[in-house]
Amino acid sequence: MLRRMIFNRLRTSALSLILLVTIVFFLIHATPGGPAYSILGMHATPEAVAALNKEMGLDHPLWQQYAIWWEHLFEGNLGYSFTQHAPVASLMGSYLANSIILYVLATVIAIFFSVLIGMFQGYWAERTPGVLIGAGQIIVYSIPTFFIGVMLILFFAIYVSWFPPGGIGGDQSAGGALNIGSYFHHMVLPAITIALPLTAGLSRYFGHQARSEYRLDYVRTARARGVPPLRIAVNHVLRNAIRPLVTVIGMMIPGIFVGGILTESVFNYPGLGWLLWRSALEQDYPTLSAIVLLIGVLTILGNLAADLTNSILDVRVRYE
Amino acid sequence: MNVNNSLVARPIPGMFTRIWTDSLRHWVGQYSHPMTWTGLGLFVFLLLFSWVGPLLYPVSPLAIHANHLLLAPSWQYPFGTDNLGRNMLARMMDGGKATLEVGLLGAVIAMFLGILYGMVAAMSPRWLDKVLMRLLDALLALPGIVLMIFFAAIIPLNTLSLILVLGCLSWPGLARIVRNEALAYKERDYVLAARQFGASTLYIARVHLLRSMLPILIVNATFMVADLILALSGLSFLGLGIQPPHASWGGLLNDGLQLVIIGPWWLIVFPGVAIFLAIVAMNVLGQGLLARLEGR
Repeated sequence: MLRRMIFNRLRTSALSLILLVTIVFFLIHATPGGPAYSILGMHATPEAVAALNKEMGLDHPLWQQYAIWWEHLFEGNLGYSFTQHAPVASLMGSYLANSIILYVLATVIAIFFSVLIGMFQGYWAERTPGVLIGAGQIIVYSIPTFFIGVMLILFFAIYVSWFPPGGIGGDQSAGGALNIGSYFHHMVLPAITIALPLTAGLSRYFGHQARSEYRLDYVRTARARGVPPLRIAVNHVLRNAIRPLVTVIGMMIPGIFVGGILTESVFNYPGLGWLLWRSALEQDYPTLSAIVLLIGVLTILGNLAADLTNSILDVRVRYE
Repeated sequence: MNVNNSLVARPIPGMFTRIWTDSLRHWVGQYSHPMTWTGLGLFVFLLLFSWVGPLLYPVSPLAIHANHLLLAPSWQYPFGTDNLGRNMLARMMDGGKATLEVGLLGAVIAMFLGILYGMVAAMSPRWLDKVLMRLLDALLALPGIVLMIFFAAIIPLNTLSLILVLGCLSWPGLARIVRNEALAYKERDYVLAARQFGASTLYIARVHLLRSMLPILIVNATFMVADLILALSGLSFLGLGIQPPHASWGGLLNDGLQLVIIGPWWLIVFPGVAIFLAIVAMNVLGQGLLARLEGR
């Protein structure tokens, strides 16, 4: 049963990936003047365009180009960025690493505080503190990520200057040794910026879960038996309420990317989102489409990983 | 009342007005909740600020005053001035117009496309439904803002093109909701009965399914407006939305960020709070409607 479920899930994801690659293929062809112009720039001579078209196989009919596009993907050839003067694939490595470290840090912070806040919210569900937490969640959730970022810079970097206003620590560009302390010091404000709205959304969900657990009979029984409240919270409620968390984190992945793109732009943090933003401003289409593809692939794979983990952890999911 | 219309032999005086007011009262009562009114009031305030405000405070948002640069809020300049000496209050009103316009009109387009796609998927044969849903999965794997950034790099940026792009890229989430709702209602007895009586697919979709899910559509419309305001503000903040010299709240916030070292809080707080209020208004409105729907 488990094997069949995993197989089905893999098939769905594979289909999504194929469709995603197709969508990005058409997106590239939607760029003005087609791919050749986007690589050579708007002022390319027709001869140069024709030469490049021939070289890249762009003079073939669309379906053959589509096949070539797949071939290039399997070779890891994502195109050449003429604004950065490097193949796109080699360019993305360090940006991707920076982003992943930042996003994982932000997600861990968000999960920790969501569970904490959610437990209190569930415990106080119908009383004033619970209602206040609920209101706070809607309010924090509605603050745009970039506004949080700008306010954090204004306060923590300009007025009290505890943290740097942006950039990345460790001086990677000068080839110096990676200074871990400085690296994470630069990461504090961006991580909080991404984590805050995530926490608001996730703790609301988790609060609902905890609240419905607290209403169940076994909790009342435990209370009647005289089990201490903290033990009820941790051993009974938390263990049951935390179960759907993996799926929810899977669903949060697009949100993390959205928050990440804006946050990296605010803090000039050289991650994937920052690269996406820069290449959009510089109309560097090869890089742009490669990042769009990469974010889509990461999202699909993340969802797949979440679902598979869940199906292994929770027996009931397998029998859907 | 409404239901017994056909059974009444002759018209009762005042019947039609009563029906009209009753159904209005019923309709309002169905959604009435403190949160609904708070959100609605806040949003109407922002609409008035952006459209009626310039009539009451007729100052040009583009006029440059070289000797009034970066002034903090005062009686002469209630929201201060920016680095070109432009009146921030006037720019906020102007920016509100652009932001809310794109948010509301873009949401109309997105609602239309989402309902259309979801309905087509729900009413079509199983295999087509499956294909459409897989396509939707692939689209949903790309966060809206990523595609918006992609298209913003391609197209000329103005209010109309932004309405179209944001509207045309924001529907996939809604399409899934519509499709799932439609499938849930599709097997109800009254829909099956209508089909037995020979009602066409289009008629069932329009009359039975869409009307049944109207409350859910209204709730999602509020969230859609909030999402679009957020998306436009994000794009403008990145310099990929409304282009200068025209103002938008996101663009103003970005202008403020460029000067953050000098610390002019009024250039950052006012636009940021405006975006926040617009989004919170729509989210609170939506939560209020949702609370009524779920009977809380």
